[in-house]
Amino acid sequence: MIKNIRLIFALAIAAGLAPCGAQAVPESIDLSKFPAAEVEDVVVPVPSEIFAVLDKLGSPNWRGELRESLGKNTGNRAQVALLLGTVIAEGFIAVEAEDPTKVQEIGREVLVLAEAINVRKAVIARSKSITEKADAKDWKAVRREFDGALQDVRGAMQELGDDELAQLVSIGGWLRGTQVLTSIVSKDYSPDGAELLFQPELLTYFTNKLDSLKSTRLGKDQLVAQIRKTLTAIRPLIGKDDGTKISADSVEKINKMTGEMVAAITQSKEA
Amino acid sequence: MKKRFAALLILLAVPVYAYVNDALSFAHEAAVPYVKKGFSVREDAWGGDLGVKEQQAVTAQLFKGNEYWFALGTEVKGAVVTLHIYDSKGKLAESEAWQKGRFAGARVVPQKTGTYYAIITVEKSPQERTGWAVVYAYK
Repeated sequence: MIKNIRLIFALAIAAGLAPCGAQAVPESIDLSKFPAAEVEDVVVPVPSEIFAVLDKLGSPNWRGELRESLGKNTGNRAQVALLLGTVIAEGFIAVEAEDPTKVQEIGREVLVLAEAINVRKAVIARSKSITEKADAKDWKAVRREFDGALQDVRGAMQELGDDELAQLVSIGGWLRGTQVLTSIVSKDYSPDGAELLFQPELLTYFTNKLDSLKSTRLGKDQLVAQIRKTLTAIRPLIGKDDGTKISADSVEKINKMTGEMVAAITQSKEA
Repeated sequence: MKKRFAALLILLAVPVYAYVNDALSFAHEAAVPYVKKGFSVREDAWGGDLGVKEQQAVTAQLFKGNEYWFALGTEVKGAVVTLHIYDSKGKLAESEAWQKGRFAGARVVPQKTGTYYAIITVEKSPQERTGWAVVYAYK
């Protein structure tokens, strides 16, 4: 045993890797001493990060969560950005369902919607790769391509000076992802499943972004206003820092609210 | 933009801009071992630059039930950077961490779903400002 430990240390030293235990790492820090306490930008988790946990908690019926229609493009740029977010989120659901046909349909739709907001070039390669990897049923690679498509679309929008529109893509994805999360948890409620909704900083980040839109057009957009109202209503339902459990009732309420928003974004009756 | 970053002691989760692209490739390099262990590396990332002994915190939403590796890299040869993960109450939350010159990593198995903070420190550097990038992987 001791020989093994010595061997591990010798290998670690040979590899030049220093475990940080060798340095004094504070066991606790005062986060308030960091001057910028509020979130400016955040890396928004992709739906598959949450779906991976749901898979460990049970066996969700992912096919049952897929929407038949991906939604209609109204030509309104805010709606298209939000719709693009929901469609990419749908891609992650289709990957969980291991449905190559749906994944390919979604890959094509991402391209169509990207074209509508002038960022088609940024996702051509991704769309092609999604189709190829879905065909090969390489689901891990498809997940990575959807994540990449999301970043490429947002990056291209930011390059065009459309940062605010890029945020709407993230919000659309979050709404659809949360709708599915709450749908699955509602069907087989468990406190562990419900705890996945505890995303206070993320929700604060989204509401701050919508509250501080510089574009008057976006600020006055009816759909954006509805989403702002919904996010504010969801915030008290997602739990508190004291560890209060998120109730089955709250999960259902969030499901209803996010479902209504997704229906409004996709211009469909399917909530 | 670079000046803006330089002025901030703490930067909570900024997108990676062109000037940290080099650092990003090193962060991805630091994450390679975890890909081999079945982790999925996110395409999104954080980045910025820091002076020696300066720190930044980035905010991450982590989910109980997943396991995460955070990987930090810098393009500056000879720099020493560290990365540690704390929970929303400021308690050390990582289950292991390592450091090797311009690379560092930390593993977290969240006990609770919620907000976590990755604290990045430039311990040493031959340059006044050191670009950095952090990626994370999950499974």
